[in-house]
Amino acid sequence: MLKRAAVVIALTAAVLPGRQVHAQEPPSAGTILAKSQQAFFYAGSDMKARVLMTLTSASGQKRVRELTMLRRNEARGGEQKYFMYFHQPADVKGMTFLVVKYARKDDDRWLFVPAINMVKRLAARDASQSFVGSDFTYEDVSGRDLEADGHTLLREERVGSRDCYVIESIARSPAQYKRKLAWIDRNSFLPIKEEYFDAKDELFKTFSADEVAEVGGVPTVTKRTMVNQKTGHTTTVVFTDVAYGLGIDADIFSERYLREPPRKWVQ
Amino acid sequence: MRPRLTPQRLPEWSTRHPRLTIALTAALTALFAAWLPGMRTDTDSKNMLPATSDVRVLNDRVDQWFGLHKDMIVVGIVRERGIFELDALESLERLTSAIAGLRGVVSVDVTSLTTADNVVAEGGMLRVEPLLPRVPETPEQMERLRRSLMGNPMVVGRLVSEDGTTTAVYVPLERGANGKVVADQIRDLLARERTAGLQYFVAGDPVARDTFGAEMFRQMAVFAPLAGFVMLIALHFMFRSFALSLSIMAVAMVASSWSMGLLVAVGQPVHIMSSMMPVFLMAIATDSIHIFNEFYFRLRETSDRRQAVLETMEAVGAPVRYTALTTAAGFGVLALGGIIPVRVFGLFVGFGTMVIRLMSFSLVPAVMMIVPDRTLETASRREDLQAGASRWLGALGRLSIRHPLAVLAAGAVLLAMVATGIPRIRINNNMIHWFKPQSPIAVADRVMNAKLGGTSLLHLVASTPEAEGLKDPARLAYVEALQREVETDEDVGKTVSVVDLVKRVNRVMQEDRPEQEVLPATREIVGQYLFLFGMAAKPATLENLLDAESRRANVWVQLKSWDAGAVERVVGRVEAYTKSHPPPALTVQPAGIAYFNLVWNHEVLKDMVRTFLVALVVVLAILVVSFRSLAWGLLSFVPLLFTIALIYGAVGLLGKDFDMPISVLSTLSLGMAVDFPIHFIRRYRQRLAEGQSVADALVWTVARPGKGILRNAVLFSLAFAVMLASSLTPYITVGLFIMTMMTLSAVFTLLYLPALVALRPVRRAPANAGFAKEG
Repeated sequence: MLKRAAVVIALTAAVLPGRQVHAQEPPSAGTILAKSQQAFFYAGSDMKARVLMTLTSASGQKRVRELTMLRRNEARGGEQKYFMYFHQPADVKGMTFLVVKYARKDDDRWLFVPAINMVKRLAARDASQSFVGSDFTYEDVSGRDLEADGHTLLREERVGSRDCYVIESIARSPAQYKRKLAWIDRNSFLPIKEEYFDAKDELFKTFSADEVAEVGGVPTVTKRTMVNQKTGHTTTVVFTDVAYGLGIDADIFSERYLREPPRKWVQ
Repeated sequence: MRPRLTPQRLPEWSTRHPRLTIALTAALTALFAAWLPGMRTDTDSKNMLPATSDVRVLNDRVDQWFGLHKDMIVVGIVRERGIFELDALESLERLTSAIAGLRGVVSVDVTSLTTADNVVAEGGMLRVEPLLPRVPETPEQMERLRRSLMGNPMVVGRLVSEDGTTTAVYVPLERGANGKVVADQIRDLLARERTAGLQYFVAGDPVARDTFGAEMFRQMAVFAPLAGFVMLIALHFMFRSFALSLSIMAVAMVASSWSMGLLVAVGQPVHIMSSMMPVFLMAIATDSIHIFNEFYFRLRETSDRRQAVLETMEAVGAPVRYTALTTAAGFGVLALGGIIPVRVFGLFVGFGTMVIRLMSFSLVPAVMMIVPDRTLETASRREDLQAGASRWLGALGRLSIRHPLAVLAAGAVLLAMVATGIPRIRINNNMIHWFKPQSPIAVADRVMNAKLGGTSLLHLVASTPEAEGLKDPARLAYVEALQREVETDEDVGKTVSVVDLVKRVNRVMQEDRPEQEVLPATREIVGQYLFLFGMAAKPATLENLLDAESRRANVWVQLKSWDAGAVERVVGRVEAYTKSHPPPALTVQPAGIAYFNLVWNHEVLKDMVRTFLVALVVVLAILVVSFRSLAWGLLSFVPLLFTIALIYGAVGLLGKDFDMPISVLSTLSLGMAVDFPIHFIRRYRQRLAEGQSVADALVWTVARPGKGILRNAVLFSLAFAVMLASSLTPYITVGLFIMTMMTLSAVFTLLYLPALVALRPVRRAPANAGFAKEG
């Protein structure tokens, strides 16, 4: 954990001098993305948030998924654990979902189905798998192995009030996209905008970080949207009650707590 | 003759200024033709119904609810000894990803064994992944795969055939993509796949529809000029004057240019129906033959060329005007119908017909003025009532006058025999039948329908008033019962719904035993199963079956036939079932391409039948008015009725469907089959007015204007015989139909009108005085 904190400090230090850094050689695409992953998926030692996902179809039909998400970073090589408790839709209230994410192998996933009182292990599948039927994939939610793509820093560009690096990533191993463009904030290293291109090099998906807030000093994307440009289907995700460094116990992330969600964290 | 009669002045003027007339016509034609480069084509027969029509709006909505795509191509891979072999599955894998990379294809929704979601239990773990995540390497693995797929009701009949010899790739097309273009690209990919013993087939509605559209335009570009060329040669044999023969073709081309040009000018796209305008106008233009026919006879009788032309125009002017009028009316009536491209077609062919009429009185006389003397002399020498066709036509006329009852009785017997076929006519349309049985499209469709659930797709949308209502097990059970009911139909090969999915999840969540493939007991379990499935599968898999609010479920019904009649039967079955088994707060609405075809069939074809009947009445009214006599009007109607009754009786007896091509031809036949009687009766009454006896006048009419009629019929038949060489059956139908129609109409006119007139008590027509003034 100390190491993690050290990284964050180092990052902050690297970013703060701003102009001076600008005048020098820009960092490599790989470095920028590594910092970005850190800021976007690994912020804090752990994290808790109430997540409201709104799925809107092209015809305007809306579906809602509301969940409490607990995330804990493990010490070893980027391993993370996610615990999710579903509040909505109504007929799935009480379903819980546990994901253990490894850097170099498939996730482990368990799901508790209260209606039949059963915990079932789910097999992970390809990278393009949708997260709970939304326009976000599991990779969009928890990150993709950086070495699975080749990256190039194309240019720097302003998006709104932010100076961004524009990085092109070309998939080396199977992905939902063939090519991806990311606009990464020079200061927070959060992705501000992303464009995904399919095998035919047609734009099919766009990401935008719509709201960014400081939570306990950590820049956090509190509202984000993914639009499927081919179907017009949209998913908006709003984070509330975000908190970092809560000291969430490691054993929360176990089958026992799937059946009996921890009251302390899940209301 | 009254001075105000401008129609008579037109030939006078144009015979006085023949070169100016020709120049003016050319200039005007150039003006209209200038629009032609701006032509837009619309080869999609779907557009016969406007985008705002109920069925298209419904289908758009259903597509949105369930994330469906308008059009789907089905690619079949067949190996008779079985598809479960390494090389075959590898070929499938290669093809699936190559097809997903094609432009116009919705890549993410290309469905085959390698992409379709399957829910399986594996050592206590639930796995949702493509049915064929990786091609098995060992025979044992292959056997396990085969067994698991063949035991999966969501797969068998859809992705794998029951006998294990066939697998399919379903290729959804992006909006606006052309099915033929994508199918051609797929065929290119298939040509590169050279796996031994594998056969590949490309089927599906968009392939047939867009191939037909494209082929129709292409073949029109071949057959219209070809028919014109054949006619030109035939005309040359008849009239021995290249200039005159060419002028008939010129009339057709002028009319085509004017009406096509105007069509483009008003911003209409050229639809598959209007693409046939040139051929139809060419057919109609042959009416000018009557002018030449008479002109050659007249030339023998008078030495002054201009005199001969003007006399000719006076003699045939009225019939030419009225045949044009009835033809234009026959097409014009189409404008009363509800189908916009049909209205456009009717209006513009009507317009073209009027252009032809205009040309008959201007361009044709002008050309007759400038043809070199020598050509005409040699040619007209052959026109003699005592020679050639006229001679045996005269004999024929005498025969029917002498034995009118026998002739009529023979006709009545023939009519009675064939007319029994009329009630048997089936109004039905089947696009696959527009291709020859041995064509790749028809073969692909046949093979795929024999092996798999069917290439024609019907959706049954079950809706509840309540959100989340379709998670209710009782409603799901009803949907399942409806599936079983629909499956009893011989043409339904496969149905899939969210019920199959829920049952599947229920099974794998438990011990994965076949008897556990049933619906769970509570709404809550259904909801959580579906959520669970949604967490693991591609969103589209569930979305295609259940809308976002779980208010509507989509039952996929695969039909083995593109017959509108088959769809009608299935829809009827659903209606009957929901009546006898009232559903639990559930309504069922058919949709999808198969339903569209059914509605299209009803709307377009029934509209055609309606307008056809109206056209019959309108034409009769025109005849009665123009002859100023109900009796003559009815009489002139007889050959038309005979012709139509015989043709449709034969259609019924042969079991041929009354489909799109036949329905278009109906109106054409009306306008044209009535031409011959008009010429006949007009000329007969003129002759009678000149003081001849009934018998003499009849024989003269059969021999002289009759020769024109015969020439017209032969010309038609020759031109349209060209179409028999087409690869599209509608063109063959058009060719056969017109040949038959013109021949029958000519025979009935020349044989039955004399007999009928001979039977009538001899009486001078009261309107004699009117002949001259009517013109």
